[in-house]
Amino acid sequence: MPEISYREAVRDALAEAMRHDDDVFIMGEDIAEMGGSMGVTQGMLDEFGPERVRNTPISEIAIVGAGIGAAMQGMRPVVEVMYEDFLTVSMEQIVNQAAKHRYMSGGQLKVPLTIRTQGGAGWSPGAQHAQQVEAWFVHVPGLKVVFASTPADVRGLLWSAIYDDNPVVFFEHRTLYGIKEEVPDELEPIPIGQSRVHREGTDVTVVATGRLVHEALRAAEQAEAEGVSVEVWDPRTLQPLDVDALVASVKKTNRCVVAHEAVTRMGFGAEIAAVVQEQAFDWLDAPIERVGAKFAPLPFAPVMEEFVVPHANDVLAAIRRTVGR
Amino acid sequence: MASEVKLPRLGQGMESGTIVKWLKSEGDRVEKGEPLYEVDTDKVTQEVEAEASGVLLKIAVDEGEVPVGRTIAVIGEQGEEVPEVSAEEAQREEPAPAALQENGRPEEAPVVQATGGRVKASPLARRIARERGIDLALLRGTGPEGRIVAEDVERAEAAPAAVPAPVPVGELERRELTSTRKTIARRLTEAWQIPVFQLQASADMTRVNGLVARLRDGGTKTTVTDVLTKVCATALLLHREVNAQWTDDAILVFPTANVGIAVATPQGLIVPVIRGADRLRLAEIAAARSDVVTRAREGKLQRADLEDGTFTISNLGMYRVESFTAVLNPPQAAIIAVGAIQEQAVPIDGQLAVRPMMTLTATFDHRAVDGAPAAEFLQAVKDLLEEPGLML
Repeated sequence: MPEISYREAVRDALAEAMRHDDDVFIMGEDIAEMGGSMGVTQGMLDEFGPERVRNTPISEIAIVGAGIGAAMQGMRPVVEVMYEDFLTVSMEQIVNQAAKHRYMSGGQLKVPLTIRTQGGAGWSPGAQHAQQVEAWFVHVPGLKVVFASTPADVRGLLWSAIYDDNPVVFFEHRTLYGIKEEVPDELEPIPIGQSRVHREGTDVTVVATGRLVHEALRAAEQAEAEGVSVEVWDPRTLQPLDVDALVASVKKTNRCVVAHEAVTRMGFGAEIAAVVQEQAFDWLDAPIERVGAKFAPLPFAPVMEEFVVPHANDVLAAIRRTVGR
Repeated sequence: MASEVKLPRLGQGMESGTIVKWLKSEGDRVEKGEPLYEVDTDKVTQEVEAEASGVLLKIAVDEGEVPVGRTIAVIGEQGEEVPEVSAEEAQREEPAPAALQENGRPEEAPVVQATGGRVKASPLARRIARERGIDLALLRGTGPEGRIVAEDVERAEAAPAAVPAPVPVGELERRELTSTRKTIARRLTEAWQIPVFQLQASADMTRVNGLVARLRDGGTKTTVTDVLTKVCATALLLHREVNAQWTDDAILVFPTANVGIAVATPQGLIVPVIRGADRLRLAEIAAARSDVVTRAREGKLQRADLEDGTFTISNLGMYRVESFTAVLNPPQAAIIAVGAIQEQAVPIDGQLAVRPMMTLTATFDHRAVDGAPAAEFLQAVKDLLEEPGLML
């Protein structure tokens, strides 16, 4: 099995889908000659040409709007929004148009659009280029939301997103593009709505997304040395959520920590905590702990950024609280 | 203008009371002076009157213990806006400020079990305990903040019994402490710290029995206790060092004998006081005793019925107890324990005679009273019982 980077995995899924199906095309700011600001689409212009690898003006509302139109006409567009912070500009198209057309037309229309975007702190980009806004989209009926944390996951899930007949907001994490993982020789689609257990454990379930999956795995190693067995569970798809697997894991471990890079307040972790207490209340042996960014805009200063966003130590501290250490 | 009903201080030393029952409902018209609610203090349950007229707009504390001065209800005019008083707020105890750790979380309190009757346990611990019939109240929590976690329940079940447990013949009963019970426990524990001594004497009750029989024939429902009350009151005034109270800087000697009579009630031991017993005629003592004992058994004593006692009589004669020692009833300096009247062979003038004898055991606060004056007091009691005519 080849080992590839997260960046290569995204490119591989896009290219495979485009080779497989003429209806798939990509569109976004500087994605053609430049290969995208994160280098994800490098070389794709050469293989697929300017008809299918399209540069756009700097207008997120236009990019997403054009994608919706093409999707409703039978294409499977993948549009790129350079930073998830800029999703705010295209919010009208995503929330009021993409998410609603299939419902409002009684199923006569469908919007098989994939909106790729990326974000995340850790490289001092400041308050407007590194937010984690995935929770906003989980709140909108009609959208699917994916947040992949490894090369294998991002490859298999992006394929499924492209071939899903509903709009999918697809989150990638800036600091994960370089990480590597062995992937299957042949691309294996990963179903939307299927979670992944990264590590099995018996004492506490850490629900983690994006970068925090890796932080949680580091925390789990340390906890193991302290005699605490940690299960690290990544939902991978935030909407729909793999509720059965989540509940089964917590029923097994009786404790739950939720960790994400987005601010804790009203974050996706709040929803996880609510679901767990609804469905596994009588199995909980400790309050559910939440780990996330402090409620503050991201600072430029690296030490301040480090202070605001959560790391392995924060996850470890939460693990220790749940087991009363 | 709405007025807040606050729990009043109904006697010295009262710091809290337990609301037992409201005699009016929210929305009812209330007149000033009308009984509004019942409160259980550490001594009695009593009705408290409304201090204002109007409509009972809100009951903030339905029942339960509240400190003196807390707002428990609001009286005002119909439709008037009720000031913010939530039951929770009214009953909340000010939490002691917890030390903060570096991470801003309150430092864990030392492991304590249930607080205020509420057992803190995780949902899982509760479920396991429920399934296995384990009483969480008996467990000690080892989780954060003393919470009982599943492991504690598992451990409780796994703990091997050191001795084969006897076959249970019923369920352990848990009786919550009433404020009367708490007061009894507190006061007796205090009393136990006092250095005391006991003196014992037996009295020939022939004359007292005759006297009681004659009074009864005359229609006055007198008892031996009534005669004893009068006798003790008289003896106390003859030996006033016993009718006293120890304080840190002085011994208080009282000018009148207020004699308490220990009464068993369904709520526990209670001691109503017959004031100025030294100045009352026997029939008056009998009437006063009958009144307070009846009300004590019905739980209808007022605070005043229980205050200012200078001496206590505890009589277990009706239970055929021969003699016993009583624990002091502080701040009083003496208490007398009375046994049953029993026919005994006693030598009189060289002859054996059968006489109704009663054993008295008096307990004294040695800080206030020495042995000799105490003995003189007991001697006086014995003499007066054997010849009540000496009281004339």
